Amino acid sequence: MKQRALWSAVLVVGLATAGCGSASDTGSSSGGSTDKLVVWDWKSGEPSAKAYIEKAKADFSAKHPDVTVEFVAQPFDQYYTLLGAAIQSGKGPDVMLFNGGGQIRDRVDALVPLDDYVAEDKQRLAGWDAFTKDGKTYAGPVTLQGHPIYYNKDLYAKAGLDPASPATTWDKFLADCAAIGKVGAKCFALGNKEGAGIQFWLSALGSGVLTAQEYDDWIAGKRDWNSPNVKRVFQLWKDAGDAGLNNDGANSTAMFNDAFALFQSAKAAHVIGLMSDVGHWKDFNEFLTPDKLGVMSAPVVTAGTTPSLAYDGGIGYAVAKWTSDPKLAADLVRSLTSTEALQAFYAEAGAIASDTTIDVSQAGPAAATIVGQLKGGKPALHVALSSKTLDLMGRVSQQLLSGSISVDEAVKQLAASDQAG
Amino acid sequence: MPIGNVQPSVRPVSSGRTDADPVAAEATGRHRGTRPRRSRGGARAERFAPYVLVAPAILIIVVLRLYPLLLGVNFSFTGDGERNGTVVGIDNYLELLDDSLFRTALGNVGLLVLLLPVAVAIPGLLATFIYLRVPGHRFYRSVYFFPAVLSPVIVGAIFNLLLAFDGPVNAVLGAVGIGPVDWLGDPDVAMFVVVGVHIWATFGMALVVFLAGFATLDSALLDAARVDGASLLQVIRHVIIPGLSRTIAFVAVTTMVGMLTSMFGLLYVMTSGGPEGSTYLPEYYIWIQQGQMNRPALASAASTVLFVIMLVVGLLQVKLLRRAGGED
Repeated sequence: MKQRALWSAVLVVGLATAGCGSASDTGSSSGGSTDKLVVWDWKSGEPSAKAYIEKAKADFSAKHPDVTVEFVAQPFDQYYTLLGAAIQSGKGPDVMLFNGGGQIRDRVDALVPLDDYVAEDKQRLAGWDAFTKDGKTYAGPVTLQGHPIYYNKDLYAKAGLDPASPATTWDKFLADCAAIGKVGAKCFALGNKEGAGIQFWLSALGSGVLTAQEYDDWIAGKRDWNSPNVKRVFQLWKDAGDAGLNNDGANSTAMFNDAFALFQSAKAAHVIGLMSDVGHWKDFNEFLTPDKLGVMSAPVVTAGTTPSLAYDGGIGYAVAKWTSDPKLAADLVRSLTSTEALQAFYAEAGAIASDTTIDVSQAGPAAATIVGQLKGGKPALHVALSSKTLDLMGRVSQQLLSGSISVDEAVKQLAASDQAG
Repeated sequence: MPIGNVQPSVRPVSSGRTDADPVAAEATGRHRGTRPRRSRGGARAERFAPYVLVAPAILIIVVLRLYPLLLGVNFSFTGDGERNGTVVGIDNYLELLDDSLFRTALGNVGLLVLLLPVAVAIPGLLATFIYLRVPGHRFYRSVYFFPAVLSPVIVGAIFNLLLAFDGPVNAVLGAVGIGPVDWLGDPDVAMFVVVGVHIWATFGMALVVFLAGFATLDSALLDAARVDGASLLQVIRHVIIPGLSRTIAFVAVTTMVGMLTSMFGLLYVMTSGGPEGSTYLPEYYIWIQQGQMNRPALASAASTVLFVIMLVVGLLQVKLLRRAGGED
């Protein structure tokens, strides 16, 4: 009996100590020792990223032979949930992968500003803005992500249009769509089940609708939701839906990958796709063949605007503030963004890498057009919005398509959300 | 409650054992010193014995369940982002009230409660048919159970394909001249579709419970009803339902719990909370706020609200079960 009482007491004390702790404690620092770095991402497990990771590791171990690097590939679905838990407990990986924009900006409290460490890379790499908040850079860009408008040259030819010169104005574009409709194809392949379709729409077409001044103000955070041109973007979205330019059931079509499949199977002539990862030129090249895939600039809606490619840093590696040696971790980020590693990533995964010195002439005309537009490109409009506003925008975009909300009401809700957050 | 029962039953047994084993008592006494002190110490040990014995169970509940629960509730009164760690009072709860998405999620919980009778009636009816030996009942018995072994993700993927706008279901409807329905894209339809798929995927388990209930049903009553010339409906109404009241109550409780706690996978795969946010449930909302919006404290507040709802529903159901049990 005594023995049992003793064990129980041990159990009580043990469990009580284990239970101690506070949910909001982020001050304690842990993370690795100086001879090992842990990296979290959702890429390193993919076969297409193998060469990239190997090159980066080799580059890093040449500089720091006594430090081991461990890559932990997390499932993307759960990535930010797991990361949130790690941030909350103040322990976790030393280096971690982020999507540019809201996902990293919401979490900069847990990151180390990298400006002092990556100064030499600033010129060579593009896409820094997506990883910058309040003038400080928090990650080194790996790929560029943007929203080119892809079109099917074959369908253009069938509809009696010139595949080499797609429409440059909105009116001409609508006329082209009418011609394409006559040969039994839809104008746009649109998947808005996740509410992502409107983000692509806003960013791909925005440069032809907003004036240069409005565009720059939007990116700088001075967003005038009452501007007629901002409303025009959402009006066009609704009009395109009402006019039947999109595939049927856009609100229940998943963008990844049902909408892209519609484009690849020539059931729709245009799709606003991505530059890297999925739904991009490399995927489309495989189905449509490189010479039938075109990339067009946004048609001009507001006279006097100059359309530009919308792109940002797509994914990039950041350094956690609890790491014991930020300089060492930043060196790993630099290795992960070295020209050799990024060259391998471009070649294997088909991503448009952040390194502008890589030669892409082998990848077909679409990729060449995209890279050619990088110089005049601007940050994507939707990336400047908070994840909360983006979530709301997804829902109101579905309401706009189903007709249960007016454009004015939609813009009003978005303005309230944008200004609150 | 178990604690109340443990004390009287444990004490006589354990004290009896010590009394009946003087050798052991002496053996322990030899280490501890004089006899009178030893017996007093022994008595005290025996008085504490029941507490010690239930301690592990209680400790596990307190340390691993109640303490984290309190931490979570406590956390829900702190802020997110820049206000991380600071006390913000009931701000998070006010924000929840103000969020139309969360209100939709709560409304959908109400909808689930309203749909509960349907979810119970379907397996009940099918079990009745099997029990009454309709032709092919053996075949149906195994077929009905089949979906219950599929994971929600697979079920969701299957129905995503079937219910796509250009999918087979709409093709069949089109063939008989009914216009296509945007099953997962129409906010007025989507929630019913997801609940329907959930019922389809889970009713096999309830069916088995019903069949077990039927095994206890007195077949003489059925025969008597038939001899008296009762119709099928009358048999169901006056013999089967009263005879199975405990089974029905049990199935109602487990189905409700299942609908409130395990629809996440289906929602995630089939609608992602859409269209227009119409298929949000509290648990999906919590996941979005924690994982996608980086608002753990707000998610804690939503979790606390969900916990209170589950508590109320659970207590009501325990009451229901008791009453059904008392009818016998």
